[in-house]
Amino acid sequence: MSQQGDARYVVATDVGGTCTDAVLFAAGEPVRLGKALSTPPDFADGVLAAVAAAAESIAIATDELLARTALFMHGSTVVDNALFTRSGARTGLITTEGFEDTLTMTRGAYGRWAGLTEDGIKHPVATDRAPPLVPGAHTRGVPERVDYKGAVLRELDEDAVRQAVRSLVDDDEVEALAVSFLWSFYNDSHERRVGELIREIAPGVYVTLSSEIAPVPGEYERASTTVINAYAGRIASDYITSLQALLRGRGYDGPLLVMQGYGGLLPAEEAAERAVGMLECGPAAGVIGSRHLGSLMEDEDIIACDMGGTTFKVGVIQGGTIDYAREPMVDRFHYVAPKIEVVSIGAGGGSIVSLDPATGVPGVGPASAGARPGPVCYGLGGNEPTLTDVMLLVGYMDPGTFLGGTITLDAERARQIFTEKVATPLGMSVEDAAIGIYRIAAAQITDLIHEITVERGLDPRDFVLHAFGGSCGLLCGVFGAELGVRRIVVPYTASVNAAFGLLSADIVHEYSVTKTLPAPSPAAEINEIYAPMLARAREQLASEGFADDAIALDWSVDLRYSRQVHEVTTPVAGGGPMDEDAVARLTADFEALYERKFGKGSAYRAAGTEMTMFRLTARGLVERPRVETAALNGADPEAALIGRRDVLVEAEGGLAPANIYDFERLVPGNVVAGPAVIHTPITTIVVQSGQSGRVDAYRNTIIERD
Amino acid sequence: MSGTRISATLVVNDDRTIACMACGHALGPAGEPWKKSARLDEGPMQGAGGAPYSNAERVLLRRFFCPGCGALLDTESALAGDPFLTDIVRV
Amino acid sequence: MDAITFSIIRHRLFRVIDEAVITLKHVSGSAITNEGHDLMVSLYRADGSLLMGGVGFLHHLTSAAEACKAVIRRFEGDIGEGDVFLTNCPYTAALHTSDIYLVAPIHHDGRLVAWSACFVHVYDIGAMVPGGFSPDSRDIFTEGFSSPGIKLVEGGTMRRDVMDTLLNMVRAPEMVALDLSSMIAANNVARERMGALIDKYGAEPVDEACAALVDQSETLFRKRLRELPDGRWEARQYFDIEDETCRVLLAMTKEGDELTFDFTGSSPQSHYGINCTYWASWGGFFAPLFPLLCYDITWNDGVLRPIKMIAPEGSVVNCTRPAPVSLATVGAIQSVNNAACTCIAKMLSASEKYAKEATAVWHGSHFAIFMFGLNQRRQEAIGILTETFGGAGGARTWADGIDVGGEIPNPIGRMANVETTEATFPVRYLFRRARPDTGGPGRWRGGNSIEFALVQHDSPEGGINYVVSGKGTEFSMSEGLGGGYAGAPCAYRWVHNNEAGEAGRNVNPFPTELDEMTGEAETISWGVFPLKGEDALYVRSDGGGGFGDPLEREPARVQADIESGMVSEGVAASVYGVVMANGAVDEDATRARREALRATRLATPMAAE
Ligand SMILES: [Zn+2]
Repeated sequence: MSQQGDARYVVATDVGGTCTDAVLFAAGEPVRLGKALSTPPDFADGVLAAVAAAAESIAIATDELLARTALFMHGSTVVDNALFTRSGARTGLITTEGFEDTLTMTRGAYGRWAGLTEDGIKHPVATDRAPPLVPGAHTRGVPERVDYKGAVLRELDEDAVRQAVRSLVDDDEVEALAVSFLWSFYNDSHERRVGELIREIAPGVYVTLSSEIAPVPGEYERASTTVINAYAGRIASDYITSLQALLRGRGYDGPLLVMQGYGGLLPAEEAAERAVGMLECGPAAGVIGSRHLGSLMEDEDIIACDMGGTTFKVGVIQGGTIDYAREPMVDRFHYVAPKIEVVSIGAGGGSIVSLDPATGVPGVGPASAGARPGPVCYGLGGNEPTLTDVMLLVGYMDPGTFLGGTITLDAERARQIFTEKVATPLGMSVEDAAIGIYRIAAAQITDLIHEITVERGLDPRDFVLHAFGGSCGLLCGVFGAELGVRRIVVPYTASVNAAFGLLSADIVHEYSVTKTLPAPSPAAEINEIYAPMLARAREQLASEGFADDAIALDWSVDLRYSRQVHEVTTPVAGGGPMDEDAVARLTADFEALYERKFGKGSAYRAAGTEMTMFRLTARGLVERPRVETAALNGADPEAALIGRRDVLVEAEGGLAPANIYDFERLVPGNVVAGPAVIHTPITTIVVQSGQSGRVDAYRNTIIERD
Repeated sequence: MSGTRISATLVVNDDRTIACMACGHALGPAGEPWKKSARLDEGPMQGAGGAPYSNAERVLLRRFFCPGCGALLDTESALAGDPFLTDIVRV
Repeated sequence: MDAITFSIIRHRLFRVIDEAVITLKHVSGSAITNEGHDLMVSLYRADGSLLMGGVGFLHHLTSAAEACKAVIRRFEGDIGEGDVFLTNCPYTAALHTSDIYLVAPIHHDGRLVAWSACFVHVYDIGAMVPGGFSPDSRDIFTEGFSSPGIKLVEGGTMRRDVMDTLLNMVRAPEMVALDLSSMIAANNVARERMGALIDKYGAEPVDEACAALVDQSETLFRKRLRELPDGRWEARQYFDIEDETCRVLLAMTKEGDELTFDFTGSSPQSHYGINCTYWASWGGFFAPLFPLLCYDITWNDGVLRPIKMIAPEGSVVNCTRPAPVSLATVGAIQSVNNAACTCIAKMLSASEKYAKEATAVWHGSHFAIFMFGLNQRRQEAIGILTETFGGAGGARTWADGIDVGGEIPNPIGRMANVETTEATFPVRYLFRRARPDTGGPGRWRGGNSIEFALVQHDSPEGGINYVVSGKGTEFSMSEGLGGGYAGAPCAYRWVHNNEAGEAGRNVNPFPTELDEMTGEAETISWGVFPLKGEDALYVRSDGGGGFGDPLEREPARVQADIESGMVSEGVAASVYGVVMANGAVDEDATRARREALRATRLATPMAAE
């Protein structure tokens, strides 16, 4: 895919729950940002508004910008939204007779407790499952059976299938059908035949087969994924088709590339068939953006944090690679699809600060004041003290310059409510109480990140921390220091994290074959498994216009110790095809990865090692201009110094005077000595004492220990 | 219905009597066992709730009803001859 | 101690446990630990009292405290930094020998400041039957290796002689070694993280916070107890093992801010290994007490302080050594759970404020099918069928019980996929589903249970063996509440297809109901059985208890249950008094039927007669 004519802009838009972000750039020009409110359910309006905001910064009209755009990348929360608002299609499920309750039983209590907080789990009497997307009454079992080897034990009863489809469509009036049979990932013939029959009997019905959308073991998760895709399928495809038409109408004639939860893009036509792929693609794009930023800065080990209004999200990049989530969920539904793992807790700027009514012990979140009414200091009717109000009380926010002066913060009211609801009941001064709450928030984040790194067998001290989002810069100096990270980067694009990530993404197709083989096995046998995947990948990417030299094919294999549950996706070093040495190396690499992740002595070799899944990641490398760097100036930030006021300085244990800087006046090369506060138009960065903040050639702020 | 709740189906009234929450029928003095004042159906548990109860050959399902309105006040499973379970709530 | 520091330290203590649990799961890698979450990690204060319990099998929170205390008594003067002690003696602390506790002191600056403890159900313990559940054991001596306390790690170094001796007594020693390593690793993480916490905040403040945390739980719990009415509530549980019928009787008395659990009148100890030791019963009622009464209170020693237990010596709830106990966790301990759940629920439902917290009994039988033999890859396969973690929810006072919704004592259990089990054992499922009409009827009905059937498939030995540990087949163990019926009992059937085949009958290879099976279905409930040839095993677990009068159930809900296949039309008419016509509730007929049923009730004799 190359640029054509004078179309030279690359535009990325990300539709989030609250805001839609746009980022654009072109060779020789700096990155421009645009922001607008999201506009559900007609998200396209918000997309155009964000693009218009970005276009304004280069003083051209939206249509002109689109006419001069070569690539339009897009991520959207539309599928998540369809599930959260239960606005998908009336869906039915066809499954193996005798196993009709697989979806509604959710593997027992699993669907009842998964997705709850620890407090929720400890209160089982108050718990329940989410109502299923397909009720039991819209499920039909049909006679058929395949075994664990993929052998057909019982032929598909086609008459029963016809009858099931007719009654689901005619009596139950379903608009979409999911088909999920036992062991279909080893033998998809029955599912494919059901697909044909449905298209024959009810051509208007949207169909998803489990063997196509999620060819992996585990019938509950596979059925759940299939149902989600069928349920949201039409919404996703209509959305993408109409966005494409809208862009065409405004003068854009390039491809529309759509972000997937695994951090790669798909051409619109393919994305339209994979609704489930779009789930949580925003946070995934954020992590991809972080990896890209890291590669520009030559950092391969990154903890990517994003703190917005309601949540704090963390992703981990290790050696440039990103783990996929093992048990992803959307709302409270399980699904199985390659998805970048992003862990979140309910701690954001809007998180409400409250005292436990029984014990008086203070806490932050998970309840949030959201964007409306928002923090008390916004003056939009918020009556509960939030973390943002605390930031104001510890001096980090300037009532006059917030969001470039677009909102004047009501410090008096924030102080009054905080005193009444927090400080007085705690018997503390406003300052002490606010400092205390700040520390609780920082400690919660520290604990979360620590736990996540333990989960992966990593040491946070080996990592660089990226602080994205509107609130992260206020806290990262403190929790980053406690974690002992190598340095902290507050990216220039901190506030449009996901859209920035889209800019750096490639077209990625994920293929996999589930098959259990002992490790090692003959290389020829493994290569044979890959042959059809490789053929499909090459054909696919060729049809998308990628020449051979713009294609990357990464092999990886899931391995485990036999009789152990943990599987580790192990990259095939040097790619394929494999020879016997490569197979030996793969096994050795697995052992090393396993020990690193699960701890010394965790390997159980006695029962042997086995390969369980063969994965191919096929990337079409999207050509794009390089992000421009700026020349570095001197270190002295004097020109950007706009004041001095008392703020919380952790090392002092209280409020102390600090320099205040205007980010817009800082130039690359400037170094700010802590304690200091830097106000950007969108966020605030706090540099603690003992730290310094340096503006680099990409205008990122890099915080390091002195 | 007024009175102080002492179970899912019973209250104690101001006059210190236990009463059916549904109809107010009196079931004896507060702080005393009330089941003797109720009607009782004692039949086999077998089949009581449908086919899956077919194994329960020996055990009985005791159902205590309000003599006033027929409300089901409590259940017990019991082997024949085992005493009633006694719940006393002091209010 | 200021509230801020307290809040931070408390949060960190929780994370200490979380990180230790992650480590335990990582190193162990076993299915029962990772899938069934049959594990526990908790922190204890220097005197062995419970400081903070994690979410795991809740029976163990208090028992591990006893393990700590036993080690403190036994090893006084010989407890050093970096030591790890093992105990699995049921007469000291453990529930049964398969549940091994590893407890480790946490030192700071040479001073003992706390303990960490964890448990897993180990792969094997050298009992009569592989995996440990031994229906034929008649005393503790045939239930495998058992230690009241032994030092496994000394000053950070594994005692090789001890380890080798342990591993010499079990089947699959490598798997057991991994189980033990995982617990050592978990204790190490707990120690490191506690050390970091103390380094940051100081030993005194941390200890002060820990003391405050325990006091806070006690204060909150006593306050809650005072809000609840005083009284005395009774519960009775029956279970049948072969020729024996056991009773667990519980009278729970609440006075002011104290609770007494009195098991007087319970049956003498059994000849079979379903007995509870004293500490198993103690843990047995705390398992529902923590989530039912202390859902918003930190689970620690403060919750234990207002509680007393009376358990007669030599009874099924306090057996005398050497009574066998290998099936305690699926035996009498479940009855203790259930009886406590019933008494606590009755107390809650006597309160306007707390009635919404009351629940009928969930998954009372905790049925367990344990399998062992060679799998299709000729590997030895030992393990539990995880359908037991499927469970069935008891009805609440405001909502139905959750179909196949789990159990109270293990808040985060889950069952494996059919495909996982078929890949692990040489079996094929014929069906697996929620069973209609198993949930106890009521205004809110109990959750339905699970039913499934298996045949052997591709077994190199023509089959595999399984252990059935009875109880709950003749008696409904999930009692109802407030007029709700108990859930349906369990059923185990050995379907003799081989004999049917030999007799020349065609064996149906794909039945989807018990009734469609060809062979004679023999009721079984206790012992080790073969699953060979074409024979099938049918299992149905018990349904959750119901709440309230079934005649009060809204007819529309009964109709919805019929439509989703969760209640049959027959039960709708006979128990709920709801009459259907053309797929909808016949309002007039329903009114008439309910009136007729009430009239029948009013014609019954007075209970006093
Ligand atoms: Zn009455």
